[in-house]
Amino acid sequence: MAPLIHTHALEKLYMMGKEPVHALAGVDLTIERGEFVALVGPSGSGKSTLMNLLGGLDRPTGGEVWVDELEIGKASDKQLVNYRRDKLGFIFQSFNLLQMRTAAENVEVPLMLAGVAKHTRHERALALLQQVGLGKRADHKPNELSGGEQQRVAVARSLANNPRLVLADEPTGNLDSKSGREILALLQSMTRHQGRTLVLVTHDPGVASHADRIVYLMDGQIQRIETVAHPANGQVPAEEILV
Amino acid sequence: MKWGDLISSAASNLTRRKVRTLLTSVGVVVGILTIVTMVSLGIGVRVEINKQFEAIGLERVFVTPPEGQQNFFTQFGRPERTKVITPADITRWQSLPDVAPNGVQADIDVSFGVGSGVEIGDHSAGVGLTGKANFQAPFQVAPTALAGTIDIPPAGGSAVLYTGALKNLKLTVDDVKPLIGQTFNIILRNPQGPTKSFPFVLQGISSDTRQRVELALPDRIKLKSWWLNEPDLINKVGYDNVQVRAKDVASAATVVTEIKAEGYDVQSLETILTLADQVFAVINIMLSSVGGLALLVASLGIVNTMIMSIYERTREIGTLKAIGASRGDIRLMFMLEAGMIGVIGGITGLLGGFVLGKILNRVIQYYIDSRHLPIRGSFFVVTPTLALAAVAFAMLVGIVAGLYPANRAAKLDPLLALRHE
Repeated sequence: MAPLIHTHALEKLYMMGKEPVHALAGVDLTIERGEFVALVGPSGSGKSTLMNLLGGLDRPTGGEVWVDELEIGKASDKQLVNYRRDKLGFIFQSFNLLQMRTAAENVEVPLMLAGVAKHTRHERALALLQQVGLGKRADHKPNELSGGEQQRVAVARSLANNPRLVLADEPTGNLDSKSGREILALLQSMTRHQGRTLVLVTHDPGVASHADRIVYLMDGQIQRIETVAHPANGQVPAEEILV
Repeated sequence: MKWGDLISSAASNLTRRKVRTLLTSVGVVVGILTIVTMVSLGIGVRVEINKQFEAIGLERVFVTPPEGQQNFFTQFGRPERTKVITPADITRWQSLPDVAPNGVQADIDVSFGVGSGVEIGDHSAGVGLTGKANFQAPFQVAPTALAGTIDIPPAGGSAVLYTGALKNLKLTVDDVKPLIGQTFNIILRNPQGPTKSFPFVLQGISSDTRQRVELALPDRIKLKSWWLNEPDLINKVGYDNVQVRAKDVASAATVVTEIKAEGYDVQSLETILTLADQVFAVINIMLSSVGGLALLVASLGIVNTMIMSIYERTREIGTLKAIGASRGDIRLMFMLEAGMIGVIGGITGLLGGFVLGKILNRVIQYYIDSRHLPIRGSFFVVTPTLALAAVAFAMLVGIVAGLYPANRAAKLDPLLALRHE
C-alpha cells in the first residue's frame, strides 16, 4: 500500500517585507499508514509550516505534498475543505474548543459540518467522549473542565469523522506533566489500536520519545530522522485505553 | 452543513451576547415600527375612503359643461361655457344602453352668495339656496326631519329650512314649528339693484347644519332665471352638473367614454378613486421613507455588531475552517445571524406598530366621539400582507447588512485566524 504522506522537494517561501524567508527548503519525507511521527525542532525550524501544509491550511510554493493520493498544492479549495473535514483530525496546543458549546457538542461539530443527522452524531460524540474517559462530563462546557479534560475533548473531536490522519500541534504544551502524559497515551493508543497516522509537532524531546520516528528539522530542512527502538509509554488508566 | 444546524448555530451565537443583540435590533424595531404605523395608517384611511366611495356608488359618472379659457373680460366671473347641457342631452343620455333606468339626474347650482335671504314672520336673514343632495356625502350622517317632512315634492312650491338657516334667523325649531304649512318668502337681491320676493310653503326643518334653504329643481331654475335675467335658462346656460348612473361599475368606463366623446367634461368616482389611490401610494411611500431612514441607520448598527462579533470569534472561525467548515458555511452562518437580528427587530417592531395603531385608533375615536363627528372605523389597519412584508423586509435588511461582514469572515485565512489572540 502506498504511504499515507509523501513530500518531494517541498518548499515554502515567505516574504518578510522584501526579504524572502525559506520556511521549508526542500523537504523529502514519507510517512507510512499507522505511523506515529514527531516533528521536532526549535522555533523557526519549519515544523509548524510542514504541519500546516499537511493539514491543507496552506499551500507550498515549490515541490509536492501528497496526502492519501491528494496533492495538496494543486487541490481545489473545495477538495481541501472535504479533505480537512473527512480525512483529517486537528489537535491544537490551546484546545480551540467552542466555548458556548458543551463537550459533546464540540465533538459533534465536525459531524455537523459533514451534515450528519443530530441523533447519530450525538451518539457518536458520547461514544468518543467515553473512549477518552469523559463519558460523565459530556454536558460540561469547556470552562467547567480542566486543561487536560479540554484537550481530551479536542482529541475526541479530532476523531469524530474517523480520520486517517491526525495532526497535533504541541498538544501537551499547555498542560501539566501528568495531563500531558495522559494525552500522549491517548494519542499513542490511537495509532496502535486504531491504525491511524499521527503527526505531532513538539520541541520537547520527552514528548517526541513517544513516537515511532522523530523527524528533526532545522532551518526548513530535515536534519535527521531517528527511528525510536522503544517508544516511551504514556501513562493511562486501564479503562481509558482506546479500543 | 444542514440548514437546521446553521439556524440553530446562528441562534445560539446570538444568545451569547444577549444585550448586544437586543440593542442592535432596537434600530430595526424603530424602523419597522415607524413603517408599520405609517403604512397601516395609509391602508386604514384608504379602506375608509374606499368604503365611503363605494357607499356613494362607484357606478356614478359626473358630467359638467366644458368651459372656455378666461380672458381679460371674463376673469372676474364664471368663464363662458363652450357647450351647454340641455334637457335634450339628458334625454339622449338616458337612452344610452349602459345607463341605468332613471339614472340621469341633472342639477343647477344656486350659490348666489350674499344675494339671497329668507323672510319668515318678523325675522329675516341672509341664507343660501340649495337642492337636495344626490347622494350621501362621505363621512356624513343623513339629515333627519326636526319638524314637518324634508322630502320636497319634485313639482316645487315648497321649501325646507336647515338648522343653520334658523340660527341666522335667530329662531329655534320650536319657534318655527307652528309655521309649518304656512307661506314664507325667499328674497333675491340682484347686484344691479332689483329685489324680488318669492313665496314658498314651509314644509319642514332639516337637521342639516348648513345655512341653507332647500328647494326643488323647478323652483331653483325659476330663481336662477330671474337672477341671471335669462328666461330660457335651461336651454341657454344649461345644467351645471349631471349625474349619470351606469347600470353597473363595469359599464361606468363606457359611459365616461361615450359622453366625453360628445365634448363634455366627465369624471367617474372610479377615476377619482384611482387618482386618490395614487396620491395615497405617494403619501405612503413618503411616510415609509422615514422608517426606511431608521432602518438604514439600523443596518449600519448590524454591520458594526457583526464586524465586532467576527473580530471576537476570529479564532473560532479559524478552528471551524481547520476542522472542515467551508467558506460557504461560515458566510451563511454570519448572514443568518445578521438576518435573525433583523427578524427579532422586525417582529418586535411589528407588534409595537400593531399595538400603537390600536392605541391611536382608540385615541382618534375618543376625539371623534367628543366632537360628535359622524365617523366610524379603524384608521390603522395591519393586514397580514403588511405584517409578513414588514418581517420579511426586516430580515432582508439584516441579511444585506450581514453580507459584508459575513464575506470578511468567510475569507479569513485559517492560519492567521488560528493565531489570533
